[in-house]
Amino acid sequence: MIFFLFVTLAITLAFFIQEFIPFFEWAYYSRLLLVHTVFYCAAVSVPFPAMLLLALFTGFIWEARYHLPVFTSLNMGTGPTQAELPFGFSIFIFGLMGSFIQGVRPLFRRGRWELPVFLIGICTAGGMIIEYLMISFHRGGLEVPPELWWKMLMTALFSTLVSPFLLLLFSRLADRVGFKIRMEGITRRYSYDGDTF
Amino acid sequence: MSRLNIIFLILFVGIFVWISLFQPNTVERIQRGALSVFSPSMKAADKIDGAIETMGEEALSPMELRSQLDASARERDRLQLEVLQLDELIFENNELRRALQYVESSPLKLVPTRVISRKPSSWYNTIVIDKGTSSGINVDNPVIVPVGEKAGLVGKVSEVRGDNTAVVLLLTDEICQVSAKLENTQEQGIINGQRGSLRSMPDLQLRYLSKEADATPGQKVITSGTGELFPPNLLLGEVIELNKGTIDSQAVVKPSVDFDKLKDVFVILPDAIEKVVDPPKESEEP
Repeated sequence: MIFFLFVTLAITLAFFIQEFIPFFEWAYYSRLLLVHTVFYCAAVSVPFPAMLLLALFTGFIWEARYHLPVFTSLNMGTGPTQAELPFGFSIFIFGLMGSFIQGVRPLFRRGRWELPVFLIGICTAGGMIIEYLMISFHRGGLEVPPELWWKMLMTALFSTLVSPFLLLLFSRLADRVGFKIRMEGITRRYSYDGDTF
Repeated sequence: MSRLNIIFLILFVGIFVWISLFQPNTVERIQRGALSVFSPSMKAADKIDGAIETMGEEALSPMELRSQLDASARERDRLQLEVLQLDELIFENNELRRALQYVESSPLKLVPTRVISRKPSSWYNTIVIDKGTSSGINVDNPVIVPVGEKAGLVGKVSEVRGDNTAVVLLLTDEICQVSAKLENTQEQGIINGQRGSLRSMPDLQLRYLSKEADATPGQKVITSGTGELFPPNLLLGEVIELNKGTIDSQAVVKPSVDFDKLKDVFVILPDAIEKVVDPPKESEEP
């Protein structure tokens, strides 16, 4: 419970820090999506029900801060119809991607971080792809310029690079508050003469 | 899957559906609340951004500052005189228009605003400005900046999020579509940006020109004023190339506004764009 509260606090803090993270022009205006990265790191650390609660919390705050009700027929005279991305859509994305991440949780609990770290990048880009496809669906035409792939790739890369530090932070935090992530793998690999890492 | 997981999954889906069915006014209230919480960090981020940009610049001496201030004061006085003269001309012009039963034009009522957040969204070309309902700003108000001696169109207000915040959809976004025309011609079309917010200065597309359209590279593209959303003669860009099709022509346009360096922008209030004069009553004389 205490660990869950700490993780929620970390996500809340990430929302404030996100404001200070710039876009990189050289990376086709991609940026580190810190909130997403923190959420996915949390999603791999907590059980499924807790992940769903975090998805609700993170998605709701993200929508409250960043949802832009852009309408498909905004100014061509036919009047507003339906927002391209409905309010609450991020909750669905966080929930869906969090469920994918949960699939590698057993691996993470055994101390293997390679696949979870890689999957965090994939899920960050995956959420963006779903949003882009929704926008394209509303506009009635799929355009996939090469820059789009670069933007996804760079965003995924930023998340992948940051996630090991966040996973380490969460695992240390879990140790402190007595939450069992059970990283037996790391314990076994780095143990020396009976002294555990 | 355990029973607990299923219960939480049903709970998750239920809450998600409930939230996605929120009415627009409820969403607006939630977003206003969120903005009031996040606005201090947004403003702090803007200040840091500004400080980083000016880090390499040398500080001006008091003498230089004094000199700049004097020059600004002189320029302000000159512009005030110009505005007075323009007001007189507009009044005279409106008198003549009224006599001819034309649409009356009025001076643009501008609200100066500052950009407090650039590109907050991953997929939309937007900025956030520091004025909102308290300054009379509404959805669809055009936003401009000076470009040389003309006004260049930046975009339009897409959302007002409270007394002191509004979101502006930039001209470089695919969904910001503006009726435009080639300067000094009758050729009209629709101009829009590109999807995905992948570049700050994407080329604009001027579509639906006639297939006989003739445009030379460098020719100015301006707002046509049809549709009544944007005032006429706002600068949009310059033609790079014209591609003729079998049914219509399409021009690639380079934007005139430097969207990378947007700091201070002006919102045009709706009453200022144009108002239709009631036609004078016909004389009952035979």
